[in-house]
Amino acid sequence: MNLRGISFLVSIAVRHLARRKRQTAVAVSGVAVGVGFFLAVSAMMIGSQNDFVEQLIEAAPHVIISDELRSPSPQPGTRRFGEGAVDLRGYKVRTEVRGIKGWQGIVEAANAVPGALASPSLTGGVTLRLGGHEEALAIVGVDPEVETKISTIEDQLRVGRLRDLETVQGGIIIGEELAARLGVKMGDIVAASTSSSKARSMRIVGLLKKGQAMISSNSGYVLLREAQSLLGRPFIINRIGIHLDDPYAAQEVAARLEQRFGYKAESWQERSSEFLSLLVTRNVIMYSVVSAILLVASFGIYTVVSTSVSDKRRDIAILRSIGFSERDLQLIFVLEGIMLAAIGVIFGWMLGYVLMEILASLSFPIAGEDQSVPLDRSTRQYVIAAASSFIAGSVAAWLPARKAARVDPVDILRGAA
Amino acid sequence: MNPILEAHGLGRTLAGERPVVLVHDVDLTIERGCFTTIVGPSGCGKSSLLYLLGMLDRPTAGSLLFEGRDMSGLSGDVLAQTRLARLGFVFQFHFLLPEFSALENVMIPMRRRGRLAPDEVRARGFALLAEMGLEGKERKTPDKLSGGERQRVAIARALANDPALVLGDEPTGNLDSVSSARVVEALRRLAHEEGRAVVCVTHDLDIAALSDVRVEMLDGRVEKVTDQRAGR
Repeated sequence: MNLRGISFLVSIAVRHLARRKRQTAVAVSGVAVGVGFFLAVSAMMIGSQNDFVEQLIEAAPHVIISDELRSPSPQPGTRRFGEGAVDLRGYKVRTEVRGIKGWQGIVEAANAVPGALASPSLTGGVTLRLGGHEEALAIVGVDPEVETKISTIEDQLRVGRLRDLETVQGGIIIGEELAARLGVKMGDIVAASTSSSKARSMRIVGLLKKGQAMISSNSGYVLLREAQSLLGRPFIINRIGIHLDDPYAAQEVAARLEQRFGYKAESWQERSSEFLSLLVTRNVIMYSVVSAILLVASFGIYTVVSTSVSDKRRDIAILRSIGFSERDLQLIFVLEGIMLAAIGVIFGWMLGYVLMEILASLSFPIAGEDQSVPLDRSTRQYVIAAASSFIAGSVAAWLPARKAARVDPVDILRGAA
Repeated sequence: MNPILEAHGLGRTLAGERPVVLVHDVDLTIERGCFTTIVGPSGCGKSSLLYLLGMLDRPTAGSLLFEGRDMSGLSGDVLAQTRLARLGFVFQFHFLLPEFSALENVMIPMRRRGRLAPDEVRARGFALLAEMGLEGKERKTPDKLSGGERQRVAIARALANDPALVLGDEPTGNLDSVSSARVVEALRRLAHEEGRAVVCVTHDLDIAALSDVRVEMLDGRVEKVTDQRAGR
């Protein structure tokens, strides 16, 4: 059939729909509501997901190498007599000094990866004391210059800067919640001690905002040197954080470094695998809800096209006698469904846009701070919504349209004559 | 003799537990430029024969030659295309599409065929309606037209693609005598002045008397074919 023929079939379909305005309106609004809410819901879901993943990625270095081993190295006795006839037990084990050995080499190797920057640090537990009040704190000793480049700590500070650790003797940064519990403020002095060292005075030079996703309220930052001396472990490093230009390469980089150096290297994906699998579940839920909405919308289309076919049996017979083929008739009714879907999609896009505008204008207090709803407004969602509506619409129309093609004109003509 | 349509042993039986014979062993030749009527009592198979001749229905026996081509066994699409390009139907009840105006109804076959440019289609639609005496009624929808007017719109539509064969199923069955006479006159003119073959099923013996060839049917068979043209 040529283009003129097809455009004529389209005009017949338009006439049929124009005849039954109310039904058409109902079917169209079904699609529109489905599309509109899909856009709004998916914008929220994907937006919050992106926001969340970004937080997961940026909250800590993309790869963290720690002084843990996935499987501890065998004790000297086992190593020596591993194949022995007698199983040795209860021999004296060698205590190894914890920490990453040869960390300079690892840092160098990590920095050699394109787009990667490694920052060595030492973590350990200290007790902060003020008056009679004690609080346990996990401190991270860092090199502020490198650490600011690989993490977002700087953004998470309510007051102060990470660089202040370098300028203030015995400077420490703690969470504002902890500070509140201890009753200290910026510039105050607290006593810090460990099991192996005597207490020393630290001055608060920065406070971390509360409610940060990945930072425990009981962690603090000090200078690397300070941590080493406070924890009594000079020159020791037990953590290397690596920042990558492409966060999604983390798994590969981590695997390579772990294989090469033996220390446990954890990518952000591994660290947050539970969260990531949760996101998959969320997406499955979202798409099933949306499919259900579109399914309901396609029932509307089915009804319109189906009644159209049974109402128009006489017209079908006329058109067949004029010389329209079975396929022409089927196409007319499928076109009706596609047009209903198309109009529905256009209104749905508008509805979705409006809903997103409304959502974007709202802000909710989350963890004491007003935050707007993170929205993902990519055209991809518009395309997905349109494509699935068209598929649903054509299938819903195709079923009754087959009936139209099967109408035997002779039956109708005989019945009327 | 200038045959356009030849039926040989044409038959149509409805299958079922008790098969119903609608048309049985019909041999018939339809000529160009000739107004043929098929008459007979109700239920004698006149309309069934017409649907077979018009390729709307498929015969269960015999063969049908249209313009020298054997039509049996051709696909539905080819038959539809043949109906579109070469045939025109007029039914007892006008059978216009209710959503479309008179002019649009007449344009349907031309637009489906897609041979003519839109303005040519329109011009031809106006011309056909004018020929049927329907000037000024082009924009009216079927429900605003009288029965006779609708039937003339239907004839104009049947003629849209300049068919070689026009088939009427009781085209005057639903009209008063004045309208009926106009319609018959129009059909005769199609045969005599334009050289088309016109075949009409009717129970009106006055119309049958005005036709060139009268085919009498009974119980699915052709009983008698009478050539009523003078000098034959």
